[in-house]
This record gives sequence, C-alpha cells and structure tokens, in this order.
Amino acid sequence: MKFYSSLLTKFVRLATVSFLLMGCVKDVDLDQRNDITLGPDLQIDLLIYDIDQSHFRDTATGNIKNRISDTVRLEFLDDSYIQEDLTSVEFYFRHINTFPREIESKIRFLSEGNREQFAVNYSITPGADGNPVTTEQYELIEEDRINLVRRSIKMVVELEVQPGTAVFEGELDFASKGFFSFEF
Amino acid sequence: MDDLPQTLMSNPGAQINFTGHIGIPLFSQIHLSAGTTGVDLYDIFADDGTNINTRIQETMRSMDARDYFAINQQLEIISLGWKLDRKNYLSMGIYQEMDLFAYFPKGPAILVNEGNNDYLNEPFYFDDVSFTGEILTVYHLGINHKFDRRLTVGARAKFYSGVFNAESTGNSGRFTTYTTPNGRNVYKHEVVDLNVLVNTSGFASLREEEEVMTVEQATAELLSRSFFGGNVGFGLDLGLSYILDEQFILSGSVQDLGAVFQRKDVENYRYFGAYETSGLEPLFPDLDENDEAIPYWDIFEDEVDRNLRDQTTYESYTTWRPIKANFAMEYGFGPGFLPCHYLSDKEVRYMNLLGMQLSGVKRPKGFVYALTAYYDRKINENQRFKLTYTLDDYSLTNIGLMYTKTFNKFNVYLAVNNVLAYPDLAKAHSASIQLGMQLVFND
Repeated sequence: MKFYSSLLTKFVRLATVSFLLMGCVKDVDLDQRNDITLGPDLQIDLLIYDIDQSHFRDTATGNIKNRISDTVRLEFLDDSYIQEDLTSVEFYFRHINTFPREIESKIRFLSEGNREQFAVNYSITPGADGNPVTTEQYELIEEDRINLVRRSIKMVVELEVQPGTAVFEGELDFASKGFFSFEF
Repeated sequence: MDDLPQTLMSNPGAQINFTGHIGIPLFSQIHLSAGTTGVDLYDIFADDGTNINTRIQETMRSMDARDYFAINQQLEIISLGWKLDRKNYLSMGIYQEMDLFAYFPKGPAILVNEGNNDYLNEPFYFDDVSFTGEILTVYHLGINHKFDRRLTVGARAKFYSGVFNAESTGNSGRFTTYTTPNGRNVYKHEVVDLNVLVNTSGFASLREEEEVMTVEQATAELLSRSFFGGNVGFGLDLGLSYILDEQFILSGSVQDLGAVFQRKDVENYRYFGAYETSGLEPLFPDLDENDEAIPYWDIFEDEVDRNLRDQTTYESYTTWRPIKANFAMEYGFGPGFLPCHYLSDKEVRYMNLLGMQLSGVKRPKGFVYALTAYYDRKINENQRFKLTYTLDDYSLTNIGLMYTKTFNKFNVYLAVNNVLAYPDLAKAHSASIQLGMQLVFND
C-alpha cells in the first residue's frame, strides 16, 4: 500500500510539473499581428435624380435651357477613413432616358477651392416615350489616382441637351454609386 | 473537495469534515480561467504560409453570434471559518473578482472587416452585440448547518462592492443594403429597429480626471471603491447536500443570486432609430451665379441625426450577477484510512469517489453548461488527487487534474483544467488554473 501511495504521489508531482513546463504554443507566429488589416469593401449609393423637361425651363423667362447643373457636397470624402485608408473606388453612373435627344453628361469632382480633380464625361443615348434607353458608365480610380478622390469634396452633375428636331419631352433618371475599398 | 474550505464557496451546504480554516491572505485562492468558443490562437496566427487576414475572415465567417469569449479571475484576500458547534460551521472572507463575457458580435464585426459588398440583401444584426464585464470585491459570511444525519444545508450572504461595470445586452437593430432593380438607385441602405444601449459605471470619472489624476490618486480611488466606496449590491448563495445511502451523496447549489445597483459614476450610451436612403437628390434649382447651392449634405446629415439618434444618459441601472447553478452526485467506494461510519461526524469516508457534476452559469443569451465526471482518489491521509473530464462549449477533451497536500495543518492545492491542451496552448479553446494555500484544522 505504501509503495502504491508513494508511486502515485510521484506520478502526480511529475505530471503537475510536466504540464506546467509543457505549457507552450506551437506552430504559430504572433509577429503576424503586424500584418493584420481590415479590408472592408463598401457599396454606397451616391446621387439620384428623376427629372423631366420642366427642369430645363428657365423659371424667369419660360424658355428652355440647354444646360443645367447642380452641386452636391460629399462631406464624407473629407473623413479620416477616406483620407488615410481608401485604396480604390469604382464609380458607377446610370442614366435611363426617354428624351428623344442625346444629352451630354458631365460629372465633375471638385476640391474645396473648386479645382477640378477628375471628371467623367459621356453621352446619354436618346430614348423615346415608352422606350427608355439605359446608358451606363464606370470609372475606376485605383491607388495611383486615389489622391484625386481624397482632394475632392464636391460632385457636380451637369447636363447639356444636344441640338435636334424632336420635341424635347421625356424623363431622365439618374442613379450612381461607389464601390469603396479600404485597408485599415 | 470535502476536505478543502473552497468547497464551501461553491456549495455552502456541502458535507465538510474540517473544524476550522484560515487562508494565507492573498494566497488562499488564486483562480484564473479563460476560454473562447469558435476560435483559438492557431486559427488566427498559424505559421502555415497562408495570409493572416484570409484566416481571420474565414474564422469570423465560421463563428456565430452565440460563440463567446470569457475570462474569470478571482483572488481571495481573506478567508477563515470555524466550527461553532456540532451542527454549524461559520465561514467568511473577502475576495476580488473580475468577470468578462462577450458574445462574438458577428454582424458588426463582419461589416467592419469585409464591408457590405459580399452581403447584399443580408442583414447585419446589432442584436449580436452582447457583453458584460465587471470588477468587484465580495465580502461574504456563510453558515453550514448539519440539519440531520443525512441533510446539510447552507447559505452565504454576499455584499458586493463594485469597482467597474460595463454591459450591453438585449440590443436590437439591423443594417441591410438591398439591391433595388426597380428602385431609384442601385441599392437601398436601411437601418431598422436600432436600439443599442451600453451601460457603464466606474469609467467616466477616471476618464474625465485623467489629466489631473495621478497613478497614486487613481489607485486610491480604486481601493476606496473596493472598500464600500463604489456601487454596492447584495447576493446569496444557497446549497444543500444529502447522504442518500452509505455510498451516495447528492448535492446542489446556486451561487451569486444577487444584483449590483450601479448608481455612482454611471454613464450610458444609447443609439436608436431607423433610417433608409438611396442617396442624395440634387434638384437642379434655377440659381444665379451668386446664389448659394442647396446644402444637400447638411440636410441629409440633419435627417440622419433626427432619425438615428445617440444619447448619453446618467441613469442608475441594476446588473444581475452571473448566477451559477450546480448539481452533483457522488459515489464513494474502497475503505477509508480512518475507521468510519457514514453517519459519523468525521467523514473521511472512502478512498475513492466517483462523481458527476452539472454546472451552469447564466449569461445574457442563456445558461452556459458544463458536465464533469470525476474520479477523486486519496493517496494517503495527507494527499489526494482528482481527475476530471468535462464536456463543455469549449471542447470534448477537457481533462483536469487537482492535487492537494497537507503538511500538518498547512494545506496547498493546485487544480489545472484542459491539461491535454498544455503541450500546445495555441490550439486550446480554454485553460484554467486554481491554486492556494491555507491552514485547515481537523480537530
């Protein structure tokens, strides 16, 4: 019995000491913590509008204007996550047109001092009443040009109706979004 | 554990066979346990040539919002007890406890790590945010009463002195980016039913005063909170054990049936509301060159602020302590060293004990259970070891060891859980260690 007790005691002591000494971590490299980054890819709606011929009428004179524009500040472009961690943006613009005229779309991004940083210009294909035509445009801005987005704060949308004989009536719907990729 | 005073802390109505105890101050019980379900160190930091960020992404995807991280630490400051008469044993003491428990906030975590691009039309739930954390000092006084030859009952009153508390439970809300093929824009972003509340106590004053508070002042402040200066609470432990027949004992207990009333140094943050948007809408107004453009962004921000609101409040709140429930049955066999009878006062009864214990801790989303089977063996009059096997949320291979030795009246014990994981802790989901030393009297 005594032999048995002594053996058990020794075993327990040995086991305890062994486990305390053996406590270790294997096959891991904790230095990798320096490589940890968050990389969210965010789809964010930007501007929308649905306009018709009335938006091209001068309220003072009642005459049709060929060119209209508006400016929207995108204050979030000034936030630290854009300024420091944005790696690329893909803009998407879509017009659905029933005006029977070609319309030039200019989308410009301006700095606080109204200096143009970059612009996306394209022609909106004419449509017809009951036959809306979709025009889509993508603009990818990667790391080499990302400063242009960082310096921008205003988005200017400008439409210029091209000459034509068809009656200027219809609707023009605009949708836009940005696919923002970050690395924090 | 019937020869260790610690048994009275988990069941004040346990069968005990000692007549007095005094813990070595600060060393009578040091306990630390930590565990995570769903992830281990190896999952994240494996040195296998793959990219750590890919592994983090895969791990986060494989976890769910019921996976959790838990840390519990206890340090007994004072512990003592003595037999009042044949039937009653009084015990008392002071210990400090830290308890942190957080569910994996899957929705918000994936949104931050991956964004919404791969999760269009899938909601991110703010319900997933659920955590509790507290540091407190517990003052306790317990009585163990031998009701009759079979039944022993016990109760322990606890007075809590809170140092820190932070909790956020019962939250709701979801954020979804819907694709809208027939809508006005490509997507619709929607926050619905947002109601997130984070309660804190004990943090605000330290933060506000950090400019002027020295380390000494902060230490003094924390010590004062430990000694009744903080938020107070009350609790109760109840327990019983019943000798079913000569070899069978049943026992059950509940611990920390109590609450802390958070009234001092409270600061709560609430985020609530609902909002949806498909983007900003320019109106092409007829403006002269000198006219100011419409401040679309400011209007949008005001609208967001009106609909998605945040508030800081200073209302008192009550936190329930994590209630623990234990149920155990034990079977003894093999002759003891001492001449014994199962109804005798001296209950050194058997050389071997086989037992099963079911324990549960109440957490914000329900009880967390563990089922333990154990074999407890007396090596000789002064030494004992216990081998345990536990099934819990962490693993199916949790083997534990406990060893206790008494030199005259001086007792030391060491218990380690999940010993199979020690050779490679990187792959362990949990580990715990408990040790202590004390004087235990048996006459």
